[in-house]
Amino acid sequence: MSCKKNIMMVVLVVAVTFFQVPAQAGTIDPFSGLSGEIRISGGTAHIPVMKEAAKQIMSANPEISISIAGGGSGVGIKQVGEGIVDIGNSGRAPSDAEKEKYGLKLFKWAIDGVGVAVNPDNPVTSLTKAQLKDIYSGKITDWKGLGGKEAPITVYTRDESSGTREVFWKKALDKGDIVSSANFVVSNGAMKTAIANDPNAIGYVSVGHMDASVAGVALDGVSPTIDTVKSGEYTVARGLYSNTKGDPSGLTKLFIEYLLSPEGQQIVVQKGFVPVN
Amino acid sequence: MTRITQKAARIVFFFSAAASAMAAALVFGFLLVFGFPLIGGGEFFSLLTRRWSPGQGLYGFLPMITGTAAISVLSIVFAFPLSLGTVCFMGGLGPAWISRLLDGFVRFMTGIPTVIYGFLGIFLLVPFVRTLFTSAGSGMCILSASLMLSLLVSPTMIIFFKDGFDSVDFRYIQAADALGADNVQRLIYVILPGAWPGIVTGVIMGLGRAMGDTLIALMIAGNAVHVPGSILDSTRTLTAHIALVSASDYESLAFKSIFACGLTLYVLNALAVIAVRRLGRKRGPV
Amino acid sequence: MKIRILGGCLRMFSWGAVLLLTGSVLVLLGYLLVKGVPSLGRELIFGQVDVLDAVLLRKRVFDGLFPAIAGTLSVVLLSVGLAIPVGVCAGIYMSEFATVLQQRVFGLMFDILAGIPSIVIGLFGFSGAIFIHKYVSNDFRPCMAVSVVALAFLVLPYITRTTQASLQGLSIQIRQAALALGATRVQNIFYVLLPQSFSGILSGIILAIGRCAEDTAVIMLTGVVATAGIPGSLLGSYEALPFYIYYISSQYTDSAELMSGYGAAIILLGVCAILFLLAFIIKRQLAGPAGPEPGRFYV
Repeated sequence: MSCKKNIMMVVLVVAVTFFQVPAQAGTIDPFSGLSGEIRISGGTAHIPVMKEAAKQIMSANPEISISIAGGGSGVGIKQVGEGIVDIGNSGRAPSDAEKEKYGLKLFKWAIDGVGVAVNPDNPVTSLTKAQLKDIYSGKITDWKGLGGKEAPITVYTRDESSGTREVFWKKALDKGDIVSSANFVVSNGAMKTAIANDPNAIGYVSVGHMDASVAGVALDGVSPTIDTVKSGEYTVARGLYSNTKGDPSGLTKLFIEYLLSPEGQQIVVQKGFVPVN
Repeated sequence: MTRITQKAARIVFFFSAAASAMAAALVFGFLLVFGFPLIGGGEFFSLLTRRWSPGQGLYGFLPMITGTAAISVLSIVFAFPLSLGTVCFMGGLGPAWISRLLDGFVRFMTGIPTVIYGFLGIFLLVPFVRTLFTSAGSGMCILSASLMLSLLVSPTMIIFFKDGFDSVDFRYIQAADALGADNVQRLIYVILPGAWPGIVTGVIMGLGRAMGDTLIALMIAGNAVHVPGSILDSTRTLTAHIALVSASDYESLAFKSIFACGLTLYVLNALAVIAVRRLGRKRGPV
Repeated sequence: MKIRILGGCLRMFSWGAVLLLTGSVLVLLGYLLVKGVPSLGRELIFGQVDVLDAVLLRKRVFDGLFPAIAGTLSVVLLSVGLAIPVGVCAGIYMSEFATVLQQRVFGLMFDILAGIPSIVIGLFGFSGAIFIHKYVSNDFRPCMAVSVVALAFLVLPYITRTTQASLQGLSIQIRQAALALGATRVQNIFYVLLPQSFSGILSGIILAIGRCAEDTAVIMLTGVVATAGIPGSLLGSYEALPFYIYYISSQYTDSAELMSGYGAAIILLGVCAILFLLAFIIKRQLAGPAGPEPGRFYV
């Protein structure tokens, strides 16, 4: 009896050893033995994925250094176009004018949505597009009429170079006005923090960034979740792009390939976005 | 041999001094050159009165000027009584051993970084203001920023006020004591009148510091681009504006207008410096 | 009678001011300590990596403050190192060789430089970097070198002023003794005046170090980023402690990150407070032997 058990143990151990899937998929290997720097800046929605990818690459190969900055989609496009960074992230596709001026090449590695968000304590969970437009243009100023408490609405928005703002303005506000008394925040992360700390806040944030600290608001009946973005039901969606000036080469090329590889796409899913592959 | 070293050393010293002096001019020059397209066309003054709406091609920074003015002035309004009271305390209205501790404490305060004031403001002051004044919206408003800013500039003002108090000729103080004046009378009749230039200097320096601060306004004033209507409104200062726009762009006309912003701040500061130097000269040997 | 009421009011007012001022600051600092001290520890700075491995740069630290601290240290040392020779020499010139007109003009320029808001200096640094990028080398961009130069501009007036003041503060006997014995002016400066005013100059340098360490506005525009690892080269991006605090305050993703922000704030506060106190103590020591200056009214 114990003899059989021992054999079982040995077989098990051997099986586990030989059938073990390596923790690092082969996509890290192209980086081995290389050294250099990759400079990344731009969209703030991309940052969690960038950070994780950088961490994986830099842990496997300490000779490579990757620096990541934010700034928004506009900054990413301009900086990569001017040669200040190697990869410029944007949460919106660069315009034709931008593509031509800088000779940009686009790489889409995720799909994301832009959802309206309020504080989790706010009883309002659904708005119509008309109501949203009135809130942002300043016509509606109190939560009372929308089903919430009697409290003034604090509107939060992003600056003009933000891709998140651009998509929100075009698709959710139909290019409507944004009131000048709106508070400005500088990134998706900052928007989340602001909403989480202000009970009367309303803002817009990348769907991938949404977590328990903010409450997504259904727009015309559709909730902003990754599933509705994936299925196309939630229309305020955009791709997450990494742009390079001309065709990428060297470490930059490898990094972009890594993002599009199964392992990179796994990071995309892990961080809450819709993968493209 | 020594003569050459002498001459060489003197030239090195002169060039260091000249280079340091040129630094201020260099900063001014760069700002001017980079902002030229908007300034050269004589548009500078229209920038001072327009509002900020880059989507519509409006690059004025009137809202930011009112924002800076509102926050700075309000912070001085809070800081002035605090500082004056503290210095009067140190001037005899309080026990001497506390005054010595206080002196050390104020010196310690000068070392507190502004980013820490901003950081604590976000998590302690802003929710407090929000619950206190329900119409304050998010609590990120002129009031919060001014309160924090007043703590930032108080040490500066206290030190200058104290210098003013110290500069009162000791013989006058002795004379007052000899005539039987108590602490209060000595303060009101001898020290305060004599310290007046020091007090004015302190207010100007405090105002300059308040206008030039970036982090507190950036983190707790809300950064809305409208002309504020009340102290519970969110607003944006010139300094925060520069930080926000610089972070996002550097080619467009919007960014070039930032240099006009920078120039405005530079000129305001230079005026304050000249005013303070004039005051110092007027006083002369006391 | 009137004066007594006024006196009483004034006394209450001054006590109130002192209590309000010290009270608010103590409340703020107390809150910071209460929230932040629990997060202090090896993990705050080095994350999951062993201390020795991190310091010897064998392994990268991803979740700790070590890169930010290293970045701040590097940038501070370099910029103060740049500013010291220029500032001290300028101060020597102002105190020993400058004519009255030069003193006035240069003095005015130094004061203006000292008063320029730090964000404007950052803007200047940024525009300088763009200028070089456009007209000199396309590879150049806002990086540590730009920050170092910009910060040097920021603290130059501190060093110049304190050097000038400490040299001028030396008694006439000390200034003239060596000259009377036949030394040249330059020999006098190097062998007598500088050593005598050393503590004054040192306190100015320490003040400059503190100012550099705490500054956020300048580095925000000239090369600091949120994630960059240990500063690799002068032409690369870097992290810094004050920027980390600013960044975390608006963009923390979970309470652990927020706690690290508190911890970082305590570290920064501690460093700056120690530096300023040190500078003050050194200056006090300088005035010590001579006793408190005449005119001090509350001795």
